[in-house]
Amino acid sequence: MTDKPLTGLRVIERASGVAAAQAGRLMCQMGAEVIMAEPAGGTPIREEHPLLPGGQSALFTYLSAGKCSVICDPSNPSFRQDMDKLLAEADIFIDDTPVADRTALGLDETTIATTHRHIVHLSVLPFGAFGPKAGWKGEELNLIHAGGEGFLLPNGLSADLFPDRPPLKIAGHFAEMQGGTTAAMAALAALWTGEGQFVDASVQDANVAVGAFGIQRFGDGSVEHRLTRSFKFGGVIECADGYVELLTLEPRQWQGLLDLLGADDWAQDASLADEVGRSARGAEINERIRGWARHQKVEDLVSEAQTRGVPMARYNAPEHVLIGLQETARGIFSTLQTPDGPVKVQSLPFRFGPDALPVSETLPSPGADQSILTGDNGRRASA
Amino acid sequence: MKPLAGLRIADFTVHAAGPFCTHMLSQMGAEVIKVETALRPDIFRKPHAVYGRQGPATFDQVSSNKLSVRLNLKHPEGVALAKKLVSIADIAAESFRAGVMARLGLGYDVLRETKPDIVMVSVSSSGQTGPESHFAGYAPLFGAWGGLGYLSGHADGPPVEMRHVMDHSVGMHAALATLAALHRRRRSGLGCHVDVAAREVASSLVGDALTAASAGVTVGRMGNDDMTRAPHGLFPTVNADRWLSIAVSTDAEWQKLAEIIGQPQLGSDPRYATQSSRHAHRRDLDDPVAAWTGAQKGEAAADQLQAAGIAAHLSWAASDIVADPHMRARGSILEVTETNGHRRAAVGRPARFAGDDAPGITRGTPALGGDEDYVYGELLGLSRARINALVDDKAIY
Repeated sequence: MTDKPLTGLRVIERASGVAAAQAGRLMCQMGAEVIMAEPAGGTPIREEHPLLPGGQSALFTYLSAGKCSVICDPSNPSFRQDMDKLLAEADIFIDDTPVADRTALGLDETTIATTHRHIVHLSVLPFGAFGPKAGWKGEELNLIHAGGEGFLLPNGLSADLFPDRPPLKIAGHFAEMQGGTTAAMAALAALWTGEGQFVDASVQDANVAVGAFGIQRFGDGSVEHRLTRSFKFGGVIECADGYVELLTLEPRQWQGLLDLLGADDWAQDASLADEVGRSARGAEINERIRGWARHQKVEDLVSEAQTRGVPMARYNAPEHVLIGLQETARGIFSTLQTPDGPVKVQSLPFRFGPDALPVSETLPSPGADQSILTGDNGRRASA
Repeated sequence: MKPLAGLRIADFTVHAAGPFCTHMLSQMGAEVIKVETALRPDIFRKPHAVYGRQGPATFDQVSSNKLSVRLNLKHPEGVALAKKLVSIADIAAESFRAGVMARLGLGYDVLRETKPDIVMVSVSSSGQTGPESHFAGYAPLFGAWGGLGYLSGHADGPPVEMRHVMDHSVGMHAALATLAALHRRRRSGLGCHVDVAAREVASSLVGDALTAASAGVTVGRMGNDDMTRAPHGLFPTVNADRWLSIAVSTDAEWQKLAEIIGQPQLGSDPRYATQSSRHAHRRDLDDPVAAWTGAQKGEAAADQLQAAGIAAHLSWAASDIVADPHMRARGSILEVTETNGHRRAAVGRPARFAGDDAPGITRGTPALGGDEDYVYGELLGLSRARINALVDDKAIY
């Protein structure tokens, strides 16, 4: 594929949080022209950690590479006029303005539907724009727990080691990223109809969706808990120089594991011949695996396991991912020049042909593309 | 009308990630025809003892809405019938290991000959290319490869394994990519092969940490901490194992929280006056906050904090989510009646559309091969005699 799939689409993004910015990022990397309408001084995401050595936000860099920026500040008398100008020529409007503030800004569902009937108006809020909690605030920590997955973490080795500690979040912005991806998907579905409409995306909903297994288990009569949902054996295994993940679901994988362990004695026990028997004696099996793996080197172990068809992976630190054999071969990182020097930015985790879609090398400073509003042919500034 | 009404998917996906992709598209209106075989049932349709019980795992949720046909892809007539199915579809989705579809005679090049503008979606652990594309993997491995698992966990503990949310996040990304490919097809008339790599989804979810690491900035496991916010964590309530998440982002929120917990002097204490100094002394604040939350009922405390503009929410189990009026009002949780009459809670549509308020799920899990009369008879035009012959020959099996 030579052209990006969303080439030709224009998206206006008003994002103060990660979820809305993630929706814009995905559309941008797929070829849409995404214009951030930022308040004076820029979106707060520009200040979010982690920071690069020179003080620029790595989070903003990741979320905003390739986007355009105009300043469209709500305190400016021309705000509504400027927004109307932007929206008039856009296909999608991404907005995470709190519901309570929208009417005063002319950004409520009814006003947008009346003034810009053609547009897909994508609302991205922690708990959605409709329902008793539509006005609730939610940061990443709250949302991973409102969605159900937080309650179920940690499991496996970490739960074994710290059974009395409170539940745990997933690293980074997992919940907000789910919200953004789901919102982008919903917006493209709405766009498919060929008609403008309001789309109400909720980060909580997105996390309940990806956590659907827990809901199904509840429907089947059980409530999952982090201390009881661990795999009966396998999971996080400590080695001499790091950790690996091991999971065998198929009988042939179990046989491969026995071969890997060199377990030609205890594993001959007839009660381990089927999955039910193995599950019942999972703790004992795990003790053997953990004792054995503690003396193995990660790289050797993973190689030997995968050769035998045993699903195993190293717990890669970010530094490992950046130079990973597979990641390098597939070219998933682009280099971006920033005031902090060159940094790597991952491209989309999917591709539409043999090659990864390249990440745009530009990162806009606030208002770098003000000419979109003013009509001037001013020079674009980089962040 | 649902936004994707009129689209049809030939669904060869198995396990969790791939089926979740087509499940999302089905909730938005696409007709999904699930291709299965009794020779090797989907591991998630089978009993799944690794979870300590003998019953299906996620199959019901991700199979809802779908139609089911049996097809033996190791039989030449089965492969021929699969191509016919693809010829009347907009999308062909699969989630075998890289190369399996080609070995079955159903690779993208073949399907493109059958349907020139087909959008083929392949979901795999490591992608369709590269030296590790043949690696076996499940959700915890995706998280491990991608750095997400390494970065999750207590600062003084091991990594944490990702579970079904990882699979389903891959499926969500695949659904997004599928729709993008369809938009391109509408614009250009061209189909394409969408290659979704689960480990790349995992790493993309910590893309900021990878970018930071590329500049020499180390990001490690942080438990429930945030890089700037404080107080920020899970706090006990009066009820056992009912934890309240609180995330304070601004100085004003902190001052309100200090008032609420009955410690107004902390709100004016210079050690906690700014975000950076509060964060530097964040461990000092754990006990005062916990002392207050420990005497509160969780939901009431969350209500009180939200009314004051502070982000707070209980750590919810599935039972809380299913009973929540907010989720019910949004259609995010609904009731599904299975083919055996059993009613259960399920996760509904992924977003609300102004142009459609129909429930996301309208039927439960299909029986294996339960829709062959419609698919093979009505859609493909096979006669009853021909279908019977294919069944006898175990091409439909």
